[in-house]
Amino acid sequence: MSSTASVSQVVSAEVAHANQNRKLGMWLFLSSELLIFAGLIGAFVLTRRSVFLRGEEWWHATPFSTALVSLNTFLLLASSLMVVLGIESIRRNENRKLQRYLALTALLGSLFLAGQAVEYSILIFEEGHSFADPFGSAFFTLTGLHGLHVLVGVIWCLTTLLVARRGKFHAHNYTTVEIFGLYWHFVDLIWVIIFTVVYLT
Amino acid sequence: MNQPNNTHDQAQHVNPVTVFGILTLCTIVEIALPLLHIERSVLVPLLLGISFTKAGLVAAYYMHLRYEPPIYTAIFLAPALFAGFLILTLAMG
Repeated sequence: MSSTASVSQVVSAEVAHANQNRKLGMWLFLSSELLIFAGLIGAFVLTRRSVFLRGEEWWHATPFSTALVSLNTFLLLASSLMVVLGIESIRRNENRKLQRYLALTALLGSLFLAGQAVEYSILIFEEGHSFADPFGSAFFTLTGLHGLHVLVGVIWCLTTLLVARRGKFHAHNYTTVEIFGLYWHFVDLIWVIIFTVVYLT
Repeated sequence: MNQPNNTHDQAQHVNPVTVFGILTLCTIVEIALPLLHIERSVLVPLLLGISFTKAGLVAAYYMHLRYEPPIYTAIFLAPALFAGFLILTLAMG
């Protein structure tokens, strides 16, 4: 009986160690992602400056696009709150609530992507921007890569939701949700910076 | 089988809704500031300061760096400082 208990303790310690390693791996991944985005934000700012130095006109956000992007920012901030509340729910063993919060996160993320699609259609079809002009190349590369991250996040969120529906998560097993949460919050964190640098400064 | 998360389960967390409220308030201030026609040399550092504060709040309280082992903070903070410095110097130039 005692040997069964000790085996259980060893397995439990190993699983805890594995969970720590998974989180460590995620943090390392996010750190490298941070540098990629820093480079792209830097490239955007430099492109804008070089256009100013040549005396050419740079893009200015219209009131509509500012309102749309501001709404998108609130959507992403709210989605991050949903993830935090979801993790708090599963810590209390409330799997149904976790599912609800994950569904809301996926919905808010999808709405963000829809808003970005509207913004892109205005820029391309009404204002005539493309990858060929300096603004287009810097803007679409930066915000497009971020949008791709949101898309991956939405798919990941829906996958996590499916796993939650099968009842796999509980108060002692939610590292998978935490790791998804880290990714989603990182996407939010990056948008906070992009929003300021691209649209407000 | 239980899979202990073994992190910060017992820590007293700041209410996430409060953090969301602060983030929303900061965003509203950010959107309003350019409408006040402040000089660019003042406006840009002000906006970036608010933006970095928001990013710090997300990292500390939503990503739980405040409650996690310091190694995660070190791993994330090193490139974050570099990124912040890069963005700040380029945007101010």
